Amino acid sequence: MSREKAEALARRGTVLTAVALLALAGVYLRALLFTPIERFQGPAQKIFYVHAPAAWSGLLAFAVTGLLSVLYLWLRDRKVDLVAAASAEVGLAFSVIMLTTGPIWAKPIWGTWWTWDARLTSTLFIFLLFVGYQVLRGAIADPETRARFSAVIGVLGLVLVPFIHMTVYLFRTLHPDPVVMKPGAPSLPGEMQVTLFTSLGVFTLLYLGFLAQRYALAVLRDLKDEEAGRAVS
Amino acid sequence: MGDGLRAAWAIAGKDLAIEWRTKTALVSSVAFAVLVLAVLYFARDPTAVGAVDVAPGALWVTFTFAAMIGLNRAFLLERENRALDGILLAPVSPRAVFFGKLAANLVFVGTVELVSLPLFVLFYDVPIVRGLPALLGVTAMATVAFVAVGTLLSSMVVRTRFAELMLPLLLLPFLVPPVVGAVQATARILAERPLSEVQGWLKLLAAFDIVFVTISTLLFEATLEE
Amino acid sequence: MQYPDNGGYMIAAYVVAAVVVLVYAVSLFVRIRRLQRP
Repeated sequence: MSREKAEALARRGTVLTAVALLALAGVYLRALLFTPIERFQGPAQKIFYVHAPAAWSGLLAFAVTGLLSVLYLWLRDRKVDLVAAASAEVGLAFSVIMLTTGPIWAKPIWGTWWTWDARLTSTLFIFLLFVGYQVLRGAIADPETRARFSAVIGVLGLVLVPFIHMTVYLFRTLHPDPVVMKPGAPSLPGEMQVTLFTSLGVFTLLYLGFLAQRYALAVLRDLKDEEAGRAVS
Repeated sequence: MGDGLRAAWAIAGKDLAIEWRTKTALVSSVAFAVLVLAVLYFARDPTAVGAVDVAPGALWVTFTFAAMIGLNRAFLLERENRALDGILLAPVSPRAVFFGKLAANLVFVGTVELVSLPLFVLFYDVPIVRGLPALLGVTAMATVAFVAVGTLLSSMVVRTRFAELMLPLLLLPFLVPPVVGAVQATARILAERPLSEVQGWLKLLAAFDIVFVTISTLLFEATLEE
Repeated sequence: MQYPDNGGYMIAAYVVAAVVVLVYAVSLFVRIRRLQRP
């Protein structure tokens, strides 16, 4: 990719992110001020409008990284690796949101900071996989080796997550929680549904904006390294 | 096929022969096992928590650490002797190399497990005789699971900085399904429940084994190319 | 009170999420800027 194209992508990505951030502010206003409070769970229930979409974006980012990892091992195209890595970093950010808002939500609603339910547990380990992915990338100097090894982790992770989900599910069905576990998305009345789906849309937009920016950043870095190499020689 | 098998056997044999000469890793693993078993035994209120309740967890923490030490030892060996380069020069298929390493790692971890098991029975006084075949089966399945992934990961990590820290970090998520499954199954077996109760966990272990041994074998080649 | 008094948790979560989003957005922006300066 040429420098002009990379810088254009960076600009477009930044605009998309800016738009998404404004929309997020809108979602915040709607959720906090214009969405009814759930009678039994109280205001804390509203955390759901941030927690669930963040989880969704994190999962999306992870799926993208995983699938692109498979693609990379097949095509060995550097661009594929850079997008996969960009998605991984963005996914890390969303996972952090999910893993912090999760306990803050769980404590008032379920009385415990952490519930080893399938979603939270899977996200925890996706987070750890992302962290490992980043650490591995940081420890390998050669770009081709880095891409290849990252892709191996990506593929392994993609295959692993359903197993983690299954593990928790098995545990839960054989050891039913004394507390009645309400599923994440109970049948919400209309107003709340609108807020939730709007938030999902905004978080998806935010993911795309971040992804574009992060990928452009990676390409720009690459170009800079190339130029520096040429300058030295 | 015969060539590959012979090559795998040779690789495994060399690895184990080197380990047998010094036995350092083996001895440290067993010492560690004793430590873990003792600490977990004493880390409870004996009037509130029976040894048999803590037992499955204690056993599997021990086995998991044995696997970590085994995997670590395997690639330290590679590194020190630049043995990897030697193997790559030989006309051996990557599959054979993987199975050779996997076999060596399994023998190592298996040995530690077999030595730890009587210690476990001794310290925790668990009824093991009737459930022994089932317990050995579960142990074998779970061990194959995390040693397969561990062997693949260590072949990548050996060439990076901070390899010893990286391996546990990368391997950790992959330990969850096999170890949880193994602990749950072990608990039922030690409680002398009928095997039908652990069906779900056994299926999970088996599925994990099939999927991850296959995928690790396939991906191993990608970690070797120049 | 019609409903439980847990608004504090709600504020905390919304603030934490906003902080993470903004910090990451700024980090991306700054990193890109640094590479664009000739």
